[in-house]
Order: sequence, then C-alpha cells, then structure tokens
Amino acid sequence: MEMLLMGACLSVFGMAVVCLAFGAATRDLGNPPVVAPGAGKEMARAAASPARFFVEPPVLPMAAHSSVPIEALLLQIENHVRQEHAAAECFLASPSALLLHSRSVSTFVN
Amino acid sequence: MTDIDLLRGLAPDEAARVLALGERVELGAGEELFHLGDSAESIYLVVLGHLRLTLPMQVRNHEEDVLVEERSSGQTVGWSALIPPYRFTLTAIAPVDAEVIALSREALNAYFEEHPATGYAVSLNVSCVIGHRLQLFQAMWLREVQRMVELRCA
Repeated sequence: MEMLLMGACLSVFGMAVVCLAFGAATRDLGNPPVVAPGAGKEMARAAASPARFFVEPPVLPMAAHSSVPIEALLLQIENHVRQEHAAAECFLASPSALLLHSRSVSTFVN
Repeated sequence: MTDIDLLRGLAPDEAARVLALGERVELGAGEELFHLGDSAESIYLVVLGHLRLTLPMQVRNHEEDVLVEERSSGQTVGWSALIPPYRFTLTAIAPVDAEVIALSREALNAYFEEHPATGYAVSLNVSCVIGHRLQLFQAMWLREVQRMVELRCA
C-alpha cells in the first residue's frame, strides 16, 4: 500500500514538472519581446558568441532591458546627457586625450 | 548685468541700452519658449529660472523630447535668430517658472548699425556662445563614436 502511494505521488510530481516545462517552452511564442533601441546588436553579439563554461554571460546595459519603464529610460538618457555634458566641459577646460575619453558612471552605457 | 554672457565686455550703461531694446517674457512651468523649426526672430537672455533645450528622439517607437542642454540665468538661448536661415534648431521649455528678455533681430541690427563697436562686442560674445556649443558637442559626439568603436571592435 505504501509503495503504491509513493508511486502515485512520484507520478503526480513528474506530471507537474512536465507541465511546467511545457508551459515554459511554449510561452510568448506569438509576441516577441520588445527590445530597447541600441540593445539589439549587443544582444545579437551575446547570442552569437559561443557558450563557454566558467565564463560569465555578458551583462547588458540597464537600458537594454525592455522591462524598464519608459519614464525611467528617459531619466537614464537625461542623466547620461548631463554626465556627458559635464565630461565634455572638463575636457574643454583642460583638453587632453585622457579627459576626452574619461569614463562616466552613466547607467545608460554601463 | 555683467553676468549676461551676451553683454560681456560692454560698459554698464551700454549694456543697459542694449537690454532696453528687449522685452521681458514670463514663462510658466512647462511653457514652451520656442519650438524646433519655428521662425527665429528673437534671441533670449535667461533672467530667472532655467530652460531645457530638447530634440525629438524615437524611444520605443514614441517620439520623445530628449534633453540636449540646459540654460540658466545669465545665459543666451536662440542664437538661431542671428544666423541664417533664422530657424530654431531646438525646442526650449521652461520646466519651472522662468523669465527671459527677448531681443529681436530687427531691433539689434538697427542698434548695431548706429553703434558698430557695441555690435562688434556682442557679435564676439555670440561667437563665443556658438563656439562653446560646437566644441562641447564635438567632444560629446566623439565620446559616443568611441563607444561605438569599442562595441564593434570588442
């Protein structure tokens, strides 16, 4: 009797796992996800690069995630413009190749 | 008055005479001073508050006005009014209550014909404003190109 119950439980559990896997495999087939502008090439490059063990997958810029609300995306763009503006002002104050290509902490490009 | 970039180098009484040619314009929060493509008849000196200069950009298939530059008290906007073809190449919006002095091209040209030394000084100041914008955006553009090169050649 116990063996029979255990077998039934395992069958139900196995069926649930199969259903979940099937659901995940067929989800959103009709609606391809919306991709933020500029992210397409990077994602394509990431997809095209061969899978390697022990290598972390490339991190996409925050703006590439389509889940970011448009208001947040516009704020990111605005902050990016301000930071680039400030970086360009620094370069003009003391022109050098180093300052021209100084890094910023903009989440839009990092 | 000496803080106004357009009037730098002018004697205070001469600067006051140039300012007297203008007309004060008050802008409520969110009000537009000029729109991209509009005919540019006046140059503006920001007296109070600040202005957002924007350009349209497609963001997720929507046209959005994206910030390009901000101008605050003492700074000049709308120099397209002095440069052919006299069309604004940006949109200017006051995000908070602001006040500007509008100097019409017609009034300025007439005054400068009678006072060429003032015209020369103001023209130099306008060229400084334009030159600074050019150098700034040249640097910003090159930084973006550098990023594209790094992305493509990585």
